[in-house]
Amino acid sequence: MRVLLWLLVELWVLNAADLLLTRYSLSLGFATESNGVMDYFFKSGTVQAVAFKLGIVTVGTLLLWRVRRYRTALFAAALLTGVFAAVVAYQALWVLSF
Amino acid sequence: MPGPLTGAGNTPAAPPAAPPPVAPPLSSGAEAKPHPSEARALLLTALVLLAGVALGAAGFFVERGMSTWRPEVTRTANGWRVVQAHRPPLGGLALGGDDLVWGCGPSIVLMDLTSGRLKLLGPGPASRTTWDPAASQRYVVWFEAAGTSAGEASAWVYDSATRRRRQLATLGDVLSLPSASGSRAAWCTTTRGGGPGIVAVDIPSGEKISVAPEYGVPVIDGDLVTWPTRTGPTGMPAAWALVDLAQDRRWAMVPAATLGNAHFLGYDLSGRTLVWGETDPASGRGRVVAQNVDDGAGSVVAEVTGGASLTSAPSIDGDLVVWAEALAAANGSRVMGRRLGGGPSFIVRDVDGRVLSTAAGGDTVAWLAQHGQTTFIETAKAPR
Repeated sequence: MRVLLWLLVELWVLNAADLLLTRYSLSLGFATESNGVMDYFFKSGTVQAVAFKLGIVTVGTLLLWRVRRYRTALFAAALLTGVFAAVVAYQALWVLSF
Repeated sequence: MPGPLTGAGNTPAAPPAAPPPVAPPLSSGAEAKPHPSEARALLLTALVLLAGVALGAAGFFVERGMSTWRPEVTRTANGWRVVQAHRPPLGGLALGGDDLVWGCGPSIVLMDLTSGRLKLLGPGPASRTTWDPAASQRYVVWFEAAGTSAGEASAWVYDSATRRRRQLATLGDVLSLPSASGSRAAWCTTTRGGGPGIVAVDIPSGEKISVAPEYGVPVIDGDLVTWPTRTGPTGMPAAWALVDLAQDRRWAMVPAATLGNAHFLGYDLSGRTLVWGETDPASGRGRVVAQNVDDGAGSVVAEVTGGASLTSAPSIDGDLVVWAEALAAANGSRVMGRRLGGGPSFIVRDVDGRVLSTAAGGDTVAWLAQHGQTTFIETAKAPR
């Protein structure tokens, strides 16, 4: 249970980092948002993009916490956290190398 | 039949309750120590995080290693050496401020001359074709297009002060490369009517100024735009068209000090001085000429004779003019310079290979050269 809790906290923080790094990369004019849904929200405005991205992941983490008694919830959280960590690490290195 | 859930009668009596276990008193050390399950949870989540970070970092470095635009960069005694071997050759050299810019296949690459750091400026994800870039002190301007044809391109700009890239303008057909100076750029493209037109663009605002409704390959410096007109079969222009954007004035100037059968190599502009290179293949002579655009006074900056030949158009910035000569001996070239303020010409560097183009920016001289399959760019400081 503790592992799941920490994974969900990490996931939420990584999601926020992904949002910040994406917004910064887009503002530099070198990157494009390849996720069609997020691209729509970024084009609609920063507030909309922040609300959608933080909102959807918050809802997702709460749902995972709600079904915490299932082992699948733990695997899903671990997978999502790993993927987000990879994305954030890639973006951070790209920004640093720039 | 299931029995009752509770039944006072036949339920055995519960054994007497055992005394509750007494926990040992907690020491201060035990308070700071996390619960073993908590520590294990943190460790596991950290492992997941590390695995993800390692994956992302590996992806970044693999992608970086597979890029074909990244050349080998080394610092030399008074500059840089950028070498590209067996990959798309380097081309389209431009110097602006502390930045050196070039093209490499479709890539537009910038190098910070202070640190040697490289930056890929273009093309964007929607583009596959680019044209040689131009650079001013602050801006780099280049064209990108989705297809390989010259139609429907767009002009892009990189601002080295803000480190941001953005689209500057949309173009029709690309009829010339861009030229950049200060906060302006100029180029030739097809206009709305379909004919050619030379335009200048204010980079911060994106405002377009129509310079002339005609074809030309313009060079801009400050408020002045110039391009050669009425070029003959050897490329040598019969006149220079000049437009002063600040005064909204246009005039023409006949080239001075031309050789008999001059073949035109190219030109550059700085302040009120126009320089160009010309060769006469029959006599083997080459000449670099400077001409004042206001009074038309021309002077020969360099005369190349005696088996050597002028190999590239000259470049000028301030009072520094640079050009390249191929030596009479095979495979040798040298980059030469001269200050218009006075003094003789000087050797900037002997080059092992053929110099394709030169650029001057402040006291920095850069040249693009080729030796076999290898193309390289070198920079050096010109003596004062």
